[in-house]
Amino acid sequence: MKKIEAIIQPFKMDDVKQALIGIGIDGMTITEVRGHGRQKGHKEVYRGQEYTVDLLPKVRIEMVIADALLEKAVDTLSAAARTGKIGDGKIFVYDVAEAIRIRNGDRGEDAL
Amino acid sequence: MADPLQKLLARTAGVDERLIGRFPALEGVALAAVGGYGRRELFPHSDIDLLFLAADDNVRAGLKEPLAPFLRELWDSGLRISQSVHTPAECAQFDSQNVELFISLLDHRFLTGDHSVYERLVLPKSRADLVSHLTRLTRERHAKFQNTIYHLEPHIKDGPGGLRDLQVIRWLHQLTGTAQNEDLAAARDFLFDLRSRMHEIARRDNNVLDFATQDQVDREDPSRLMRAYFRAARPLFRACGNLLEANETRSSGLLARFRDRTARLSNADFTGIRERVYFRSPQQALNNPALVERLFIFVARHGVPLAADTQDRLLARRPEMHTPWPVLREILSLPHVDLALREMNETRVLPAIFPEFEHVESLVVRDFYHRYTVDEHILVAIRTLAALKRKHETGFSNLIAEGLPQADRDTVVFLIERHLQMSAAMTSRDISDPAVANEMAKHMGTVERLKYLTLLTYADISAVNPEAMTTWRSTLLWNLYTSVYRALTSELDTGRLEARSYGSPEREYFLDGLPVRYLRTHSEEDIARHMEMSREEDAAVRLVREKDVFKMTVVASDRPFLFASIAGALASFGMNIVNAEAFGNRQGIVVDTFYFVDPLRTLELNPGEDAVLINTVRRTVRGDLKVETLLKRRPVKTPASQHMQFEPIVAVDNTASDTATLLEITAEDRPGLLYQIASSISASQCNIEVVLIDTRAHRALDVFYITRDGGKLPEPDAEVLAAQLKAALAG
Repeated sequence: MKKIEAIIQPFKMDDVKQALIGIGIDGMTITEVRGHGRQKGHKEVYRGQEYTVDLLPKVRIEMVIADALLEKAVDTLSAAARTGKIGDGKIFVYDVAEAIRIRNGDRGEDAL
Repeated sequence: MADPLQKLLARTAGVDERLIGRFPALEGVALAAVGGYGRRELFPHSDIDLLFLAADDNVRAGLKEPLAPFLRELWDSGLRISQSVHTPAECAQFDSQNVELFISLLDHRFLTGDHSVYERLVLPKSRADLVSHLTRLTRERHAKFQNTIYHLEPHIKDGPGGLRDLQVIRWLHQLTGTAQNEDLAAARDFLFDLRSRMHEIARRDNNVLDFATQDQVDREDPSRLMRAYFRAARPLFRACGNLLEANETRSSGLLARFRDRTARLSNADFTGIRERVYFRSPQQALNNPALVERLFIFVARHGVPLAADTQDRLLARRPEMHTPWPVLREILSLPHVDLALREMNETRVLPAIFPEFEHVESLVVRDFYHRYTVDEHILVAIRTLAALKRKHETGFSNLIAEGLPQADRDTVVFLIERHLQMSAAMTSRDISDPAVANEMAKHMGTVERLKYLTLLTYADISAVNPEAMTTWRSTLLWNLYTSVYRALTSELDTGRLEARSYGSPEREYFLDGLPVRYLRTHSEEDIARHMEMSREEDAAVRLVREKDVFKMTVVASDRPFLFASIAGALASFGMNIVNAEAFGNRQGIVVDTFYFVDPLRTLELNPGEDAVLINTVRRTVRGDLKVETLLKRRPVKTPASQHMQFEPIVAVDNTASDTATLLEITAEDRPGLLYQIASSISASQCNIEVVLIDTRAHRALDVFYITRDGGKLPEPDAEVLAAQLKAALAG
C-alpha cells in the first residue's frame, strides 16, 4: 500500500478530485494549507506600499491506495493538477505499513 | 393536540409512582427529584435526575450497596437515571466548583424516604453567587451559538431562545424574588410539544432540530415549522437577554451606574438608562413616525440597544413607516448600523418598510455550508461590513453616502448580480494568470466596484458560518483583489473617451479626451473634485494624507515640463515619490497625481510646511519658480554603497500598447530621479501619459507611457531617446 500526499493549487482541487474518482479512488482527505516551495514568498506592491506574500494558499490531498494503482493515480493526479507554471505543487509517495478498518478489523488492502 | 404541559405532568406522575414503589426503606435517607424531573417536566427520553439525600457522611458511606439493586432495576426497566448522593450540609454550602448541583437543586421535590432528612435540605443563604454564576454560564452558552436564534439546525434545548432560557428566566425570578411578568406560555407550549415529538421520533434524548428531524416533524412543510420555531424562540431569547442584563447591572454596583455613559447620551427625544434607550414620552412617540426614525438613527449612532419597554411598545403599536431613503441612508452610514437593523427587524419596523424582507424572514435554505437563516445571514454580513468600517474609517462609505440616483442603483444591482463571482473565482480560477485577472477586471469596470465587491464577498463569506472566513480564504480573496486591481490600474488602456453623454455639459467637456483608464481608476467623488479644481483660476493643488502615503493632486492647464517640475518640487522637499500618474483631456487640462512618502517626516514635524509645499508646487507649475534652483538647495544624498551602483537600464517597448511607447527604466534611486527622467522626456517633445513607479532596495523601476503628437514614437526616435536617458542617468 502507498500513501500519496499532493500539494496542489486551490483552483485545481475540483479537477483533481473528479479525475481521481474517475479512476476509482474515492477515499481522500483534503486540507486547506498555506506554505511555499520554490515559488517562495514574493513581494507585491499595492498602492505604492510593498508587502510580502510569504505563505501561499494551497490544497493538500492525501489518500492511501493499493500498490497496483500507484502509477495510474500519480499520472492522473499530476495531469489534472498541471498548469505548467511555477506553483503547480508536488506529489509525495510513502510506503504504508498497515491499514486497519476500525469498525470490523479488516486489514491491509481490504481496509482501504 | 393535548395540552403539552399536561402530558409532561402525566409522564412525571407515572415515573414518581414507579420510583416510590421500589425505593428500599433506608434509615436516614430521603429520595428527591431535581432538575427537569423535579420541575415535573419529563420528556420521553430525558434523564431522570435523582438526589439521594443522606443524613451525614456515615450514612452516605454505607449507601452504595443497598442502592445498587434499586438503580439496576430502574435501569433495566428502561428509565435513564442520573443520580447523585449528597448530605444536607453539602447542599447548604455554595461551592463554585459545582454550580450545576446548586442549579439543579432549585427544582428539588420530595419523593419518598426519610422526610426528616429532606426537611434539613436548605439552599445556600447567599443567592448573589448563584445569580452571577447563572448569568455568566448563560452568556457563555449563548456565545457558543453565536448569540443568535437563527440557526438552520437549532439546538432547541441549549440554543438561544431554547428551553434552557425558559428555565433561566424562571430561576432568576426565583432567586431574586421578582415576579415573572413575561408572557411566554405560547412559546413554552410550542417548545414542550416540539421536544416531546423530537424525542419520540429519535427514540432518544435528541434536541437538535436538524433537517431530517424537521422533515419528520412537519412532513408537509418543514419551513412552516421553522418559522413557528423562530416565532417562539424570539420572545424567549429577548426576555432572557433582558433579565440577564438587569441582573448584570444590579451586580455591577454603584460605580458602574455612576459611569453610565448612556445617561449622557440622553436628549430631548430619548433617555439612556443603563445601556438602554427609552422614549421620553412614549405616547407621543408612537404617533410620530419621524421620532421612531430618529430612534433608530440614535441606535445606529451610539450602539445602544432598545430597552425592553421600548421594544414592547413598538411591537404593540407597529407604527406606520414610510421611511424615505435619506433616513435609511443615514442609518446605513452610521457605525452601529447592524444593531439598528437588528432592532428594526425585532420590532417589525424593517419588514414594514421593506415588505420583501418578509419573504426571507426566518427562511431556511438548506445546504451543508450555510448555518443561519437568510435574514440572519444578511444581518451578519452587514455586521461584518460595519465592523470593517469601524476598523478602517475610510473606504466604502461613498456608496451609501451618494444618495440613490441611477448610478448607485446600477452599482447596487451590479453587486447583487455579481455577489458570488469573486468567491467562485477564488477557488476555481488561476488568479495568478493575467488573463483571468483581465477578464475579472473587464467585469468590474472600475476600481471602486472592485472594492465594493471585495468587501461584500468578505462579508458574505463571513456570514455563512463563524468559521467560514479562514486566513486561507482571506489570503485567496486578497490575492484575487490585488491581481484584479493591478489589471485595472497598471495596464494602460490608451483608448480615449469620446464626447458623449457623460452627464452635464460641463462634465462632458471635462471628460472629453481623457483616457478610458481615468474613469476606471477614479470614483465619482474624485471626478467631481477634479472638475471643481479645474474651475479654479490658478493651478489647483490638493494634498491629503492616506495612512502612510501622501497624495498630491494637481489640476492645471498643460504645458511642457509640467509633470517634471512637480516631481522636481516634491524632490526638493525630500519627498520620495512611490507612484504617479498623469492624464490630459482634449481641452489641455491635466490631472496629475503623485503618491509619495516623507522619509524625513518633514510635514509631520513642521506644522504649516504642507502649505509651503503646496505653494511651492503651485509656483513651479505657473513657472514662477525654477526647479533647478530648488534642487540646488537640496544636499545631494550619496548612494547607499558605491559597490551597489549599477548601470541604468533603459528599454523601449513599442508593441505593448497600441497608442503609446513604453520606456522601462531601472536605475539607482536618488532624490530628483523622477524629475530628471521626466524632464529628459519632455525635452524631446514627448508627452507623458502614465507613469508607474516601483522602488525596491534602492532600485527604481519606472515605466513611462509616452506619446508624441498623440501617437507612438517611431522606433529610431525612441532608441535615440533611450540612449539620451541612459547617458543622463549614468552621468
